[in-house]
Amino acid sequence: MMSRVTPTNLEDFWRLRAPERQLLLWALLIALLGYLMLLGAQTKEGLDVRLSALIPLLVFMGAFVSAHLSLVLARFRGDQLLLPVTALLSAIGLMAQARTGLLGAGALHGSKLALLPLGVALMLTITIAGRQGRYRLAARATWVWGVFSLLLMALVLVTGQRYRGAVYGLGLITPTELLKLTMVLFTAAFVDQHIKRLSRWRGLLPPLAPHWRLLLVWGALLSMLLLQRDLGLVLILGLTLIAVLAAGTRQPGYLLYGLVLGGAAGAVLIRFFSHGLSRVEVWMNPFTDPTGAGWQVLQGLSGMYAGGLWGEGFSEARPRYTPIAESDLIYAVWAEELGFAGSLLLLLLFAVLLTRLLTLAARARTPFGLMAATGVATVLSVQTVLNVGGVTKALPLTGITLPLISHGGSSLLTVFASLGLVLAISDGEPVKSRAKTSAPKVAPKASKTSKATNMPDVYRVGYGLRRKGGVKPVKSSPQ
Amino acid sequence: MDLLNDLFRSPPWEAMRVGLHLAFALALLFWLWQALRLRAAVSLRHLARPRAWLLPAVGLLTLALVAILTYQATWQLGGMARPQFIAFMQLHDRRQFNPAHWVQRGRILDRRGRVLAESHNRDGAAERVYPYGPVFAHAVGYADPRFGLSGIEAIANRALNGATLQSLGDWGELGRQVLTQSKRPRGQDLVTTLDAELQQLAVKRIAAAKPVGRGAVVILRPTDGAVLVLASVPGFDPNRLQPTVFTGADATNPLMNRATQGQYPPGSSFKVVLAAQALETGFHGRLDCPAEGYTTSSRYRPIRDHEYYEAKRAGRAWAGHGPLDLSTALAKSSNVFFAQLGILGGHRAFAATGQRFSFNRSIAFVGGPSGTLRLQSARLEPIPERDRYGLAQAAIGQGRVTATPAYMALIAAAIANEGVAMRPRLLRDRPPETLTRFMSADTARRLRVMLRGAVSEGTGRGIETDGLEIAGKTGTAENPQGASHSWFIGFAPASAPRLAFAVLVEHGGYGSTVAAPIARDLLLKAAEQGL
Repeated sequence: MMSRVTPTNLEDFWRLRAPERQLLLWALLIALLGYLMLLGAQTKEGLDVRLSALIPLLVFMGAFVSAHLSLVLARFRGDQLLLPVTALLSAIGLMAQARTGLLGAGALHGSKLALLPLGVALMLTITIAGRQGRYRLAARATWVWGVFSLLLMALVLVTGQRYRGAVYGLGLITPTELLKLTMVLFTAAFVDQHIKRLSRWRGLLPPLAPHWRLLLVWGALLSMLLLQRDLGLVLILGLTLIAVLAAGTRQPGYLLYGLVLGGAAGAVLIRFFSHGLSRVEVWMNPFTDPTGAGWQVLQGLSGMYAGGLWGEGFSEARPRYTPIAESDLIYAVWAEELGFAGSLLLLLLFAVLLTRLLTLAARARTPFGLMAATGVATVLSVQTVLNVGGVTKALPLTGITLPLISHGGSSLLTVFASLGLVLAISDGEPVKSRAKTSAPKVAPKASKTSKATNMPDVYRVGYGLRRKGGVKPVKSSPQ
Repeated sequence: MDLLNDLFRSPPWEAMRVGLHLAFALALLFWLWQALRLRAAVSLRHLARPRAWLLPAVGLLTLALVAILTYQATWQLGGMARPQFIAFMQLHDRRQFNPAHWVQRGRILDRRGRVLAESHNRDGAAERVYPYGPVFAHAVGYADPRFGLSGIEAIANRALNGATLQSLGDWGELGRQVLTQSKRPRGQDLVTTLDAELQQLAVKRIAAAKPVGRGAVVILRPTDGAVLVLASVPGFDPNRLQPTVFTGADATNPLMNRATQGQYPPGSSFKVVLAAQALETGFHGRLDCPAEGYTTSSRYRPIRDHEYYEAKRAGRAWAGHGPLDLSTALAKSSNVFFAQLGILGGHRAFAATGQRFSFNRSIAFVGGPSGTLRLQSARLEPIPERDRYGLAQAAIGQGRVTATPAYMALIAAAIANEGVAMRPRLLRDRPPETLTRFMSADTARRLRVMLRGAVSEGTGRGIETDGLEIAGKTGTAENPQGASHSWFIGFAPASAPRLAFAVLVEHGGYGSTVAAPIARDLLLKAAEQGL
């Protein structure tokens, strides 16, 4: 039993978060280097670099520096890797979007500029509000998330506009992006409530009775998404549901049954959706219609081939021949300009982010935290794999954005909100409150058995919400 | 800011730019290393121990990313090995710096190293030049950014683009191109089995033939299938491809490869097939061939010999051949004899012969690195049992049977090669392949003697030349489009054949007077070259 002193005052937290600071400062330096490369390329096109060109960089730096400071001030003891890696990926997103002309001269609109700080602020708000176990308040609002998701989906279905073969949303905002967070919260909260019954399998069969409300909501949502022909989102959410169920109940059977059933349903569905079938056909052989259906992916691949191993670097030859470069195919732009080496670095960063998310999920102290974080990690992992796989033709192109890199306000804000949630979960639980729970004697015993028996009940350790006042955790929980 | 602008415009900026990119990449690597190193510092003691599924989950994610990167590399780094992809980029990619625009396709050479196709650089783009123009339009084909690829250009596209990775050196070259981002990948030169001189002569003679100047010539080596001449006239100029070339679909269409795809009634040249069938089934003895001809029913016009028509035209009487044996009938090309022979053999034997001779097939040439050319064999719908007249007609190469010149050359080659047909071959470095056996070695040997007789004292005696020892069969094929097609198929020298050939002149008239002399002149030319 160790007795490490938990940081209490601000100075302690300043010292505690030194690794985050160090990594973040390096990330900002890297962003500065990248921005210099960017401006140099702009000059090549005959444009003078004006002071205003530095505004996006300064905004970016300001946002992340204040994020770090806020976390210190909030005495946040959660994860320290997530913020710097998010900053790095955001910097890369900034550069990539600048290269596609979104941040060029004249395109410096306030709304675009405000998006990043807005996202960071959203992330911080959720993190700080949900720290020290308060994120579990979200678990009480099961049906708020469920009903909100369904209503949102219905609204989009009624008012949405068709764009590139699928219904996306209201104008250029894509509200369905929000589902990636709200459905994760709904599922995590629902399973949290019924975790005992859901974990109790009869032999090889999952319990069906406690599922029906969950299945009803999911069925309604997925069929609306299918009506909308948003196959990519169906895939993301479906996999997330399975992952959350399996991780929360510790029943790998959910994974197995889910994949088998989902695969079968997918195989049947894809025959009925000409939209889906044609995408698969294009994927299998883009050369049958190279100037039509195969155009996007082939142009992306052409750019990547032109880039080769090292790429041309940011130079006068802008990637203006890649279609939908700023959103779906932004990975192709990056790989074209910085070559295979550049895309390897980018994917390494994604690996760091996603691995970290998975780690935080796997180490969460409450079942709800575990499931919510697992959900977020799954959403972002599947999204990344689908996007990068689609652009490189390893998978069919599904029209999914690359988290943090692609242009798109709804997507960006949802990602930041999701990261905020995981950050909040990584802060752990209030230690002191354990004493106030109804079963104080059971708790320490349970915490020991937690490793031995893997009973979900042990999550109840430290359960109890502080209703007011700052929490001062005195000691780290016994491990 | 001015300082920055001046810096970006100064000459050293180019070097600094590269350095900046390098610094960027190195800083990223350093960051990653640090993130790993600081793991201890950012460990999460206040959280639970990781669940057991963490490792498999991370493993799965890593696997997915590695798989995607690997696949990406096959396009981004190894795209050269995807001919369709290269062709797509050559057509549709407007990025000036895309190496696909700079591919120096390898040259295509004839068997003596004469250049049939090569690439030049013009205004920064690679341009394909065909020194012989229309002569090799079908065999060599074209590689055009607008119209794609055909012929040898297509079947050897990967090698010509420098994309066949066969030896260690090829892999080394690819590695060099990837690492240095060489903007001028260079393809491999390709040596064909074609002979430019012979091909030129063949095209010239066919084009000069009256009345339409269309036709085809195929010459190949019986022993290994090496094709020396694959000529189809009219051709088109691959140096100046026009969309109009691709629109016409009538008989005069220059795009069609008459040698491999043109289906013509083979006429008497088809009698070698019947002769082979008769020898295989043990036919011997004589058949009576009267002047009034032969028919299966009084309702049908009798099948007569050409001597009858000649005599009739000259106002003379002709007594008919009388009893003929197979050898003499082949030499004299007696329709009456072979029509009877066909009926005698019957429908079943004829169908079996068709099977054995690969009728109604598409025969592949020896494959290239990225595809293969094909030739159509004879085309013949099954003849119903009750249609005896149809069988009699097919037996003399008329009626419902058609064949391509390349296929007829293949039959001649099989006779010359102990009955075994070798797969036609255009690329010198591809090893010979056996296609199939058309007939027994004994049959082939006896046919060889008979075909020699057809030239030394039969219908082909007009081209008998000392020293060439030509063996062959003429054909004069009636057709609904106009004057008879003129055929001559055979091989030389008869005792030890080195070349087999088929010559077709559309609407040329008698095989013995139009097609046969062309074949003789080509053989003379070949003999000059020591072939």
